[in-house]
Amino acid sequence: MRIRPKDRFYTTRIYFLTGAMAVAFFVLGASLWRLQVAKVSHFEDRQKIQSLRRVRLPGIRGKIYDRNGFCLADNRPVYSIALYLEEVRRAGPWFRTIDAAMEVIGRVADVTGLTPVIDRDAIQKHIYRRLALPLVLWSDVTPQVISRLAESGCDIPGVDIYVQSTRTYPYGPYTSHLVGYIGRADPSALDEEEYSYYLPDLAGRSGLEKLFDPFLRGEAGGTLVQIDVSGYRHGELARRRSKPGGDLRLTLDMEVQQIAYQALSNYCGAVVVLDSNNGDVLAMLSTPGFDANRFVPYITAKDWEMLREDPRKPLLNRAVAGVYPPGSIFKPLVGLAAAVADPDSIHTVYDSPAVFQVGGRTVHTTGHGEVDLRAALKFSANVYFFKTALACGPDLIFQQAFSAGLGKKTGVEVDYESGGTMPDKFWQQKNRTGWSDGDTCNLAIGQGYLTVTPIQMAMLTATIANGGELYRPRLVQAYRDPASETYTANEGNRIGKMNWPDAALRAVQDGMHDVIMEPDGTGHRAAVEGFDFAGKTGTAEYGVKGEGSKHTWMTAFAPFDHPQYAVVMLIEDGDSGGATVGPCMKVLMEGLYRKMKRGQRVPGVGVLTEPGRGGLS
Amino acid sequence: MIERLPRLDWLMIAAVAVLLTLSCLFIYSADCRNADQLFKSMAWKQSLWALIGIGCYVAAAAFDYRKLNSLHWWIYLVCSLLLVLVLVEGVEKNGSRSWFSLGGGITLQPSEFGKLAVIFTLSAWLGDPATDVERLKTFILAFVLTGIPFLLVMVQPDFGSAMVLLPLVLVLLFCAGVPLRPLLILVGIGLLMVILLVIWLRFFPDSFPFFKEYQKNRILVFLNVNEDPLGAGWNKLQSQIAVGSGGLFGKGYMKGTQNILGFLPKTVAPSDFIFSVVAEESGFAGGSLRLVLYTMVVVRCMNTAALAQDLPGRLLAAGIGALIFSHVFINIAMTIGIMPITGVPLPLMSYGGTFMVCTMTALGLVQSVYLRHRI
Repeated sequence: MRIRPKDRFYTTRIYFLTGAMAVAFFVLGASLWRLQVAKVSHFEDRQKIQSLRRVRLPGIRGKIYDRNGFCLADNRPVYSIALYLEEVRRAGPWFRTIDAAMEVIGRVADVTGLTPVIDRDAIQKHIYRRLALPLVLWSDVTPQVISRLAESGCDIPGVDIYVQSTRTYPYGPYTSHLVGYIGRADPSALDEEEYSYYLPDLAGRSGLEKLFDPFLRGEAGGTLVQIDVSGYRHGELARRRSKPGGDLRLTLDMEVQQIAYQALSNYCGAVVVLDSNNGDVLAMLSTPGFDANRFVPYITAKDWEMLREDPRKPLLNRAVAGVYPPGSIFKPLVGLAAAVADPDSIHTVYDSPAVFQVGGRTVHTTGHGEVDLRAALKFSANVYFFKTALACGPDLIFQQAFSAGLGKKTGVEVDYESGGTMPDKFWQQKNRTGWSDGDTCNLAIGQGYLTVTPIQMAMLTATIANGGELYRPRLVQAYRDPASETYTANEGNRIGKMNWPDAALRAVQDGMHDVIMEPDGTGHRAAVEGFDFAGKTGTAEYGVKGEGSKHTWMTAFAPFDHPQYAVVMLIEDGDSGGATVGPCMKVLMEGLYRKMKRGQRVPGVGVLTEPGRGGLS
Repeated sequence: MIERLPRLDWLMIAAVAVLLTLSCLFIYSADCRNADQLFKSMAWKQSLWALIGIGCYVAAAAFDYRKLNSLHWWIYLVCSLLLVLVLVEGVEKNGSRSWFSLGGGITLQPSEFGKLAVIFTLSAWLGDPATDVERLKTFILAFVLTGIPFLLVMVQPDFGSAMVLLPLVLVLLFCAGVPLRPLLILVGIGLLMVILLVIWLRFFPDSFPFFKEYQKNRILVFLNVNEDPLGAGWNKLQSQIAVGSGGLFGKGYMKGTQNILGFLPKTVAPSDFIFSVVAEESGFAGGSLRLVLYTMVVVRCMNTAALAQDLPGRLLAAGIGALIFSHVFINIAMTIGIMPITGVPLPLMSYGGTFMVCTMTALGLVQSVYLRHRI
């Protein structure tokens, strides 16, 4: 045997090899350090990207109530039957899982008696797009179906009830423009990046729903879902609860709103009823309207097309966005403006003949002989106001009208409000229009360039009724933060006081009283037996002269002694204020009179009729 | 017998024991979700194999390794025959005909015995004083002896197991004292061939004759040529993500999401990619602990080689040290993405019965050499 136990040469080779191996392991260790410590965030991100999915959970929208606690925009649970695909998964090709899912759908259909609406393609699509989410088999099923499913023993794998919240408008047709409607929110670019699966919020698309959308919407929560290599849901890692939105309480009185609806529903027009003592909007209606429930969960393209193409423009909120020449309902303001310049002007008597010459033009109108302000209002004597306006000048009228809230948005809580047109100096400069005495005469009777919205005229009527106090019309009475138990009042809508002489105000009020209460007043058709109130009619021509297109108006405040309601009613394309609007105003006033005689209603206990779904366009 | 116990290499035994325990624990972590009962799980089977392995270890340690000198040709012959037989009678798994089925779900992988046989034979033959290690004939014959099992394993095909034989023969020749020049020339030629192969595959992957499609893909994936994260590159990427996302201290035992969620394929997680599970769940701390333990094992083997009283014993210990080293290096390097993916398991950690028995027997023989170095 050639034994070389301590051969230095070869032992060196062994030590050399040992060293080389140790170095190699050290290199491995260094690589491990680089991967696990230096680049850990990179690989953690990779790992999260491939296995974590964020799912957004929308918050529950706040509710909207009327002043008596009737809910105008409510939430209702939607029960859906959903299938958690990970519980019926089959190994191998996807079609096996789809087979299993179809079998489950068949069994659920047998138990519940529903017809399957999900087919193989829909499952395939769900697998590709949102496997980590439950597959909704039937949405919005009735409680009976749910109970049948529950009674069946629920031994069907992977099937669960899925509850979501959706919007409902119990008084849909009555409150269409006011409350507005919702739609699916567009995920903002930022949110979309953040969430893998975006369950959209309901976003306000019009009316209060849009205006107070951030307040009503609440805060979305989310879940972090872990998925496995095939994309099935593995579990939920974290959940952040969504926060509900805040509630709104309106000044609206649903009873008044319904009375207004009864009064006007056959016409294209608008009604605004304000509380003349504080500017609260008790009713605000534009007809024709629509049922906001048709927008839940989304409006069909056909319905949307119909609403948009309807020549009667049901989507337009005429009460705030419709601009019309005011016609004769502007006259009280002319009389008051003249009195601001000269308090004695209310006693001035003008001859008011049927033919009047101004600036080389001849105006034909109805003659009323010698009239003072009160009588001129009662008969709506045009020539009296021509002369009055020419005497005080247009600028004072503009200034008074502007102070009283015309020519600018009132600021009531609605969307798409229009300010109308105030053809004052600035407007004249901007539109390069000269101003003649003829224009002043037109202004005096609410014709020409001047346009107003019904809400503006309601504000003016309230100001006349309450003795000159100016209030911004207020629709939102109070709001309640989700965190808080109590409502916070939405106050501070008093703007100021008009500088109208008391005597002039009295004369105007008396004139308007005569309009309704005297048998030969222009608005006598609106009179209600036993109810003492005042008003003014208006008939405003528009479009090409001589074609006879007219918007018809009436304003009113009631009761006369202690005014509470300030009402404006507009009907498009009527014959005259007295003839067309008068009977409608009578219906409205009868309703208000009944309500007043009955006294204050007990909040929340009501005999309000809930309209059926649909029915209105 | 008892009086010899203090002379055992306890450091080595400790390292092996810790590695075996960790092996069972992490195979359980990698696999527990696939088995409904503990005694049907891979971890349970691995524990049984570990016990058998310990038995083999004790037996091999007690066995006088010098008796191998008279047996080595027989061992070589039997192993070569088994390697031929497996090509005919073996069962095919994952595209390779590498296993004998012994019934009852037990399979035998003769290529593992082949590795040991090459070590036994070469160390006995090169350690024989009659063999003149300085002659070229010895040099060539050593490669012929290695080449037969190499080719037989290549045909299975099991590229990884075959490749492990190359460092073995080089290490054995080196330690046996062959002149450095031919050895260096050979290593140089080998490296050159690897470079040429890489270039060929890189630019003309379709015209390469020797490899199967998946083997070419593995190398191309490693070269980042056609990194296809859903196809051939999947295991590499997912293993890297598993290791990389482990961080300093890992996600916690049984909490490795790559494994739980199936991104690390369940078929390989307990076997070839067990280190991914370990590194993900116990982080750099756990990964480097394994490296330290393996370094201990390898260093103790080499230490035994340095102490061995005769050349066959020295070569045996050095060869087994090189075997363990090659497996550990190739496996971990593949797991962390710095080497192409080959089916080389991690000694004492990966799931696999034959491999466990072979590794433990080999380490037992090292212990046998250590025990007898002062006689």
